[in-house]
This record gives sequence, structure tokens and C-alpha cells, in this order.
Amino acid sequence: MSKPVSKFYLGVDIGSLTTKVVMVDEESRIIARATGRTGFSGREVASRLAASLLIELQLSEKDVAATVATGYGRVTFPADREMSEITCQARGIYQLFNKAETVIDIGGQDSKVIKVLPGGKVSDFTMNDKCAAGTGRFLEVMAGALEVDVKELGGLAEEASDSCSISSICTVFAESEVISHIAAGRTKPDIVAGVCNSVAARVAALTARTGLAPDVVFTGGVARNKGVVNALAAQLGTRLLIPDEPEITAALGAALFARDIAPKNKPCV
Amino acid sequence: MAEQRRYRPLASTRQLEKTMTRYYALTRYHRLWGRPLRRPLAWVTSGAPVELLLAFNIHPVYPENYGAICGTRKVSAKLCKVAEAAGYSQDLCSYARSHIGSIMRPDLAPMGGLPRPDLLVACNNICGTVLKWYEALARIFNVPLLVLDTPYLPGEVTGHAVGYVHEQLKEMAADLEKITGRRFDARGLEKRLLLSKETISLWREIREFCRAEPSPLNAPDLFIHMAPIVVLRGTKQSLKYYRQLRDEVKHRVDQGLGAVENEKIRLVWDNIAIWYRLFAFFKDFSQRGACFVTDTYSGGWAVELSPGDPLESLASTYTEIFLNRSLEFRARQMIDLIKDFNAHGFVMHSNRSCKPYSLVQEVIRRQVMRETGVPGLMVEADMADSRVFANEPVKNRVQAFIETLEA
Ligand code: SF4
Repeated sequence: MSKPVSKFYLGVDIGSLTTKVVMVDEESRIIARATGRTGFSGREVASRLAASLLIELQLSEKDVAATVATGYGRVTFPADREMSEITCQARGIYQLFNKAETVIDIGGQDSKVIKVLPGGKVSDFTMNDKCAAGTGRFLEVMAGALEVDVKELGGLAEEASDSCSISSICTVFAESEVISHIAAGRTKPDIVAGVCNSVAARVAALTARTGLAPDVVFTGGVARNKGVVNALAAQLGTRLLIPDEPEITAALGAALFARDIAPKNKPCV
Repeated sequence: MAEQRRYRPLASTRQLEKTMTRYYALTRYHRLWGRPLRRPLAWVTSGAPVELLLAFNIHPVYPENYGAICGTRKVSAKLCKVAEAAGYSQDLCSYARSHIGSIMRPDLAPMGGLPRPDLLVACNNICGTVLKWYEALARIFNVPLLVLDTPYLPGEVTGHAVGYVHEQLKEMAADLEKITGRRFDARGLEKRLLLSKETISLWREIREFCRAEPSPLNAPDLFIHMAPIVVLRGTKQSLKYYRQLRDEVKHRVDQGLGAVENEKIRLVWDNIAIWYRLFAFFKDFSQRGACFVTDTYSGGWAVELSPGDPLESLASTYTEIFLNRSLEFRARQMIDLIKDFNAHGFVMHSNRSCKPYSLVQEVIRRQVMRETGVPGLMVEADMADSRVFANEPVKNRVQAFIETLEA
């Protein structure tokens, strides 16, 4: 006996700070997405977000033909397959920007540079040393010290007139630098610009390892921060393409892989 | 998840254990036989010209090998903390810190620490760290320290460099005459060199077998089975051991048996092993059919002795050690290994402890990728200090790398 196969594919990206889920259809189009704070149990958050997508789309679990999980919590989630976010990121970006050769991704506790081959295959990648400098976490800590919301950092940086210098790469020491700039009466915009420059400098150094080939796409939540975007573009001397929803591209890649691995139009018994 | 794969054990491992247990038992009870037999115990660096010491009937003991043991037994972090509390920097090599920690707190140390040395011999062909490490040891134990200074080789070895080291070896021989009360025995040295030569050629042969597909050995095998050629170089015991291992490895090749079941990906390893995660780390690879068919580290003991009269041969052999050589030499070495062993990629352990080994790796990585077209992964860790190891980020990189190779 055969029945029609379901035609939706789920990508789940459980990152260190946020969890993202993306549903694509048979034509690889994003039809729904959701994001949430990872918190204590990424798995639960991901399941809740996935359930909310199903409700939104008026689908049931049976309609999801395959699921691929990625990100730090990938092994905790009951998916058909788990893949590293480097592979997923490259795939997602290739879908959106098929001329991309370099992907710069700044996530919660990782920053990475991926060299992409035509077709979305990874040819090389480098990641930050195991420390939080040059990552989303770094920005969060600095925002905390400045008592502003992370989302405000980009706007503040644009108001800077004379950016401060933040020289320490250690997050804790950089935080104390920020505090001493505050004590010295520097303006918030100038300090924020310094923080953004510092993140950009770390990531630019990473980029030097893999080399920089256009087009260059900048993804991850930090790509929404104009201060970092401008600083990075200036330091790299290149234009940066930014997806409309820069935080969900790895989840998109995972969803596309789910589409690849799902049994194709085979009658289910 | 990939299905579990079985890792093929080597029967020679039992003999290896016997050989090493015997060596460490003799070492441990040296105080009972050393003095009556007039055989002093020397702590030596891994690149010291040990054949000369053996010719004087000295019993050599390797704090670096002991550091690896501390790493494998997962006690390095504790011992490092002891050394750090005494003022040694956290940036100092973790072999040095583990060893110094083991002297201060033998109760925390494997085998209760190494027995006291009668003398110390350090050669800076592997790094500059050993000079200060051994100076500290000389102060702690108040025993003679002999240093062999091998000039760094930016290109090929020069007559001048060999001459300079040769002169020092003569002096060292004279010093050893005074320390041991024995005459320098040129014939004895030749015998030792001959034993080394034969052992080295067996180790080479064993490694060459790994060109076979599937490879009979994986990197953890190489790292474990290199122990005798490190601590028993120039002895009959190591020669005997490698004959047995050679036969077993040859048998595997004849039978088409691979170390990793279902070998699909062949890789080259660069730098010292991550001792405290030796199997766990490589399992992430072997589970997906990836085998490390050769490496630069245990290959350091497979370099043939230079020709010439015994002391001259020692002089150039120990000056030409790969850690004492240029970036170009090291890159060429990787490129050749990748080609000769038909490898699909390589992994470099950026080892926080070992600066001479690690600092130039990123440049080498790019050069090798450019020339061979195969991808190379950099993993940040430390050979012995497990506090430096971040499991999740490492696993993540490894998985991404294997996915790249599988794509
Ligand atoms: S720094 Fe490197 S070469 Fe020197 S003793 Fe430590 S591990 Fe060995």
C-alpha cells in the first residue's frame, strides 16, 4: 500500500546562546522559522520551537520527512542525522548567495571563517581559539558592563566620534578596560565602537588564515550589529553581504540537508 | 550516528608492556644495582646522544617519556598545578611542569616519581625549554649537568655546525670519563650505534608498511609502540621488540588487515599525541573510517644515523633532528608524507606546550594545502595538560573536517 510522502524538512540549530529552527519545503524555500534562547535545555527549546512551527503551518509531525540537527546541542536532539554547523552554514549560505566563497560567522561562543567551493562544499575553515574573544558572548559581556542591550550596540557605535581602544583579547580583562573607559568619562558610543573594532580585529585575523575571496558573506547574530559590520568591512577592505536573517543560515543548511537525506517519493508502507 | 567500529588490537602490545615494565622496574630499583655495578643513572632529554651515554654504561631515563606517562594516566594537570604553585609558569611545557611537580609531590606521581639522577644531559636540538628545565633540576639535585648545544639549521646541515657539535661531544666524552670513572670505549660506542641503526631501520620498515591500504596501524598504535625506541634506543631489548612488531605488522599487510575497520579516509598527524585522550580523540575518526596512517612525531625516531666516525655521526644525526630545522623542511616533510602515504588530509595538533613544534604550523598548513590540494585541520590542545582541552569545540571541528572529507 502506498500513500503520498510528506514534503517538509526541518533544520534545527542548537547554538550556545540561541536555538534556531527552520522549515523548508520541497522547493527548498524557507516556509517558517523560529528562534529562542537556548538556556538550560537546548533540546527542549528546540522541540518547543519545532512544535510552534507545526502549529503555525498547520502541519503534523508526519508531514516532516526528515530532520537534521546542528550546533553545540546537536547530539541531544532526536534528529535523523546530526551535522556540524560548519557544513550546514556553508550549505545554507550557498543557497542564499551562490557566488559566496567566504563565510564569516560570529556566533555565541565561536567565530569562524569558512571557505566555500562552488556547490556549497567546504574547502577550509578556521575557528577562534577556545576563548570568547571575537564572539557574540564577548559583545554580551561588554553590553552588560555598559548597561545597554546588545541590540543597541550597533546604533551606538554609529554615533561614535572618537573610538576608544580595547587592547586586551581576554574577555574579562577587556571588560575591565571598558569599565576604566567609563570611569575616565568616555562616551558610550566611543566605547562601543572600540568594542566592535576589537571583535572585528579578532575575526579579521582569523580571515587572514584562510584567505579572503569574494563574495564574502557575514552571518550569525552579530551580523545584525552595524558597528561590527562596518568595522569588519573596513578592516578587511571588502564589501560584506548579509542575509536578511543572518542567525538562521546554519539551520537553513540543516533543513536543506534534511531534504537531501529524506527518502524521495518512495512509497511508504 | 555512525555505527560502532571495532579497533583491532595488536598482539605485540603484551610484549610491549613487558619490555616497558622491565625497563621501569630496573629504573625504579636502580639504587640497588646502580652503585655496585658502577652504572650511574642519567636523566636525559629525548634528543640527547644516548648512544654515547650507553657506551659509558650509563642508565638513561627520560623525563619526557615520564611526562607522557603522566599524561596517559591523567595526572598531569594535578602535577602541573603543584609546579605552578611553586612558581613555574603555566606557559611552561607541561612535560617540564609534570616532571617538576612529580619531584615535589611523589605521592601524586606515577611510580612515585623517577629515581634520583646522578647526572643530567640536555640537548637543545628539540627546544630551548630543556635548558632551563634541566638547570632547575641541577639546582634541585645538585648533580652535574652536561649540555649539548646544537645550532638551529635554517637550511642544510653545514660542516661548521657538525664540527661545533663534534667538539662538544669530545668534551662530553671527557666529562663522562671523569663522572663514571670509565675510559671512553670507541668500540662500545660503535656497537651501540649499530644497535640503534638496526632498531631504526625496523621502525622505518614498520612505518613504511602503513603505505598499504588499508593501513595496518593507526596513529595511537604508533604513539604507544614508539615507547621502546625512545627509552631503549641503542639496546638489544628494543631491537628484539621491533622484530616482533615488524612481523606482526607485516602479517597484517599480507592478510590485508587494517587497523581501522573499513578504512575510507587516510590522514597524516602532526605534533605530539594528546596523551590524556589518546583513544577517545582518535575514536571520533576511526568510527567514521578515518585512519591516521603516519605522523611526524613518532617518525622523529625513524631517521637514519648519519655516516662517519662514531662521534661525527652522532654530531650530525642529533643536529639534523626535524624540530631543529626550518619551516620549509617541515612543510616538505608533510607534503612528502601526504604523497607517499596517499593521504586525503592532515590534522595538526597545535600543542600549547611545545612551541618549536607548534608556532609555525599555521604557515605550514597553508603551504601544504596549497601544494597537495588536501585539507588540513588545526586542533588546539596540549599533550599532557588536560585543562587546556575543550572537548566540544574540538569535537565540532573534527566532525566538520570529516564531513568535508566525506563530501
Ligand atoms: S617544549 Fe616541546 S620539545 Fe621541548 S620538552 Fe616540551 S614537548 Fe619536548
